[in-house]
Amino acid sequence: MDVKVLTMVKTSDLFERWRNLQVCTWEQNKMEANNFKASLSRCCNAPSFLFTTKKNTPAGTKLRYEVDTSGILPVTTEVFKMFPDDMPYNKSQFKKCAVIGNGGIIKNSKCGKEIDSADFVFRCNIPPINEKYSADVGTKTDLVTINPSIITERFQKLEKWRRPFYEVLQHYENSSVVLPAFYNTRNTDVSFRVKYALDDFDSRRGVFFFHPQYLLNAQRFWAVHGVRAKRLSSGLMLVTAALELCEEVHLYGFWAFPMNPSGVFITHHYYDNVKPRPGFHAMPNEIFNFIHMHTRGIIHVHTGQCS
Amino acid sequence: MSGRCCRSKLSVWAALCVLVLCWFYVFPVYRLPSYEEIVDEVSRQGHAWRKNHTGIHVYRKLLTECCDPQRIFAVTKENSPIGKVLWYDGELYKSHTVSNDTYPLFVQDSPLRRPLKKCAVVGNGGVLRHSGCGRDIDDADFVMRCNLPPLSKEYMEDVGTRTHLVTANPSIIEKRFQNLLWSRRSFVESMQAYGSSYVYMPAFSMQPGTEPSLRAYHTLADARSNLTVLFAHPDFLRSVGAFWRGRGVHARRLSTGLFLASLALGVCDEVTVYGFWPFAAGPDPGRRPVSHHYYDDVLPYKWFHAMPEEFVQLWRLHTAGTLRMRVDQCSPPPPDGGEGEERVGTGG
Repeated sequence: MDVKVLTMVKTSDLFERWRNLQVCTWEQNKMEANNFKASLSRCCNAPSFLFTTKKNTPAGTKLRYEVDTSGILPVTTEVFKMFPDDMPYNKSQFKKCAVIGNGGIIKNSKCGKEIDSADFVFRCNIPPINEKYSADVGTKTDLVTINPSIITERFQKLEKWRRPFYEVLQHYENSSVVLPAFYNTRNTDVSFRVKYALDDFDSRRGVFFFHPQYLLNAQRFWAVHGVRAKRLSSGLMLVTAALELCEEVHLYGFWAFPMNPSGVFITHHYYDNVKPRPGFHAMPNEIFNFIHMHTRGIIHVHTGQCS
Repeated sequence: MSGRCCRSKLSVWAALCVLVLCWFYVFPVYRLPSYEEIVDEVSRQGHAWRKNHTGIHVYRKLLTECCDPQRIFAVTKENSPIGKVLWYDGELYKSHTVSNDTYPLFVQDSPLRRPLKKCAVVGNGGVLRHSGCGRDIDDADFVMRCNLPPLSKEYMEDVGTRTHLVTANPSIIEKRFQNLLWSRRSFVESMQAYGSSYVYMPAFSMQPGTEPSLRAYHTLADARSNLTVLFAHPDFLRSVGAFWRGRGVHARRLSTGLFLASLALGVCDEVTVYGFWPFAAGPDPGRRPVSHHYYDDVLPYKWFHAMPEEFVQLWRLHTAGTLRMRVDQCSPPPPDGGEGEERVGTGG
């Protein structure tokens, strides 16, 4: 596979090729993109299975967890009540989508305006989007993921105060939130609590849970394409979903190297420099894959400055 | 080998028997008059009651000396600075050290300012049903209630509507509101019945109660509620417990009602208690059956509280004129200044 070839290339070579590639303007390759979307909808079908819904997960069924394969969650009426009636998005519903990674590459990119002009904006792990960063990352948010570990660490599992959490979410205007509630058994309670907490404050924000089967299928799909990891990053999950829900997918802030393509060192995230657990995500692999898809005209990866 | 083992087991059993006998000697059950006797006495006494100013003073002094309700009935920033160790009064050798997490939840200083003139302590006894005491209760300057009782319209006439202090047991938070771990809306909504009163929680009595109590604070603060959560000071609860134990109330734990009555005796000029009636038959001549609570008939765990003993204590204070206990019907709303209705239901 081409991705594997890419991983063998030296990083400096890759950077040079990537820099040279920037001379050309990106244009979508309709045929490649449609083929790719067709194979994605065969495997994963985000327009019906991205989230658990009342339609795809009837009360009484048993949900199998993504990693705790022995763990099974019976969908009681209490759980069922939290699901939306049906998937809120349709196939290729949005023309231009932006998926925002939290990489330090986006710092000083001045891409905020361009991002805000997209029809649908995905973000990962409730990143800060205040005035300090909005020039680079924009403010528009339509769907944002929350990792349950954030709820556990920053908000004490929502067992104590809840208003601080509610107020953090207020920054994301009408955005819906999505949680991997059925990744493992530990995630479920905190994820459900997010739904309850927002209900406490009469919030009408959508709260969705990734369907574990969708994530498993996506993981398998990408493994075939050379992205093997214990777990997909939230960014890749969103890109996967975006490819089916949008006509054109633009990526900002995805870059897994300590320096930008011109060799200048960058921070890990645009807002901090906290490194993740090693060996959990296969970030460089994911990026190679994105670069590969960029060259094929399926997605547009932005790493430079926006005009 | 096995014989010795048996012998040592025997001695353990013997020691246990002696302990049990001692227990019965120290805390005899028979010393308490039977409940028919109590009910008879109460109905004989009827409506008559005379306030005894010296009795009130003496009692306030006693309670201030033993328990200082004014100062330590609640945990405050003043009496519990960061680093102070609060010893749980319901458990052995368990303590909570006031930390940066808990200190900000305390009120600045004691919210009870003397003099409070007329206080009403409202128990939840079934005797309140059809008592028509709602107006009397609402007339008081300070109304205390126990364990988040329902104050819905159907009970309004009997229990009133105003509340200045209501106690909330952590066990209720656990049972009725799933420990506030899931949706908190029903809790916030049901608390609206108590207006802007104090919610008095024994957070530091038993260890399992601490988290739910703090969570109740967080919930009400998050909801920007008008209620103020007060945490009972374990020293206060312990000393009140000792005070009544010295007067012959033997129970693992005093009822909330007696804690509140003690608090009221310590800070109010005039105390009237309502709804304290732990017997299944009423004080009226017909001995009509009385439910356990005015809102339900769920009996409590038997050996936990010693309600009849507590009742006898309060009844003694009533006969002495130190506090007033209402177990009869309160005067119905005067249609035309009807003084003659005063003795209805007393069987006099």
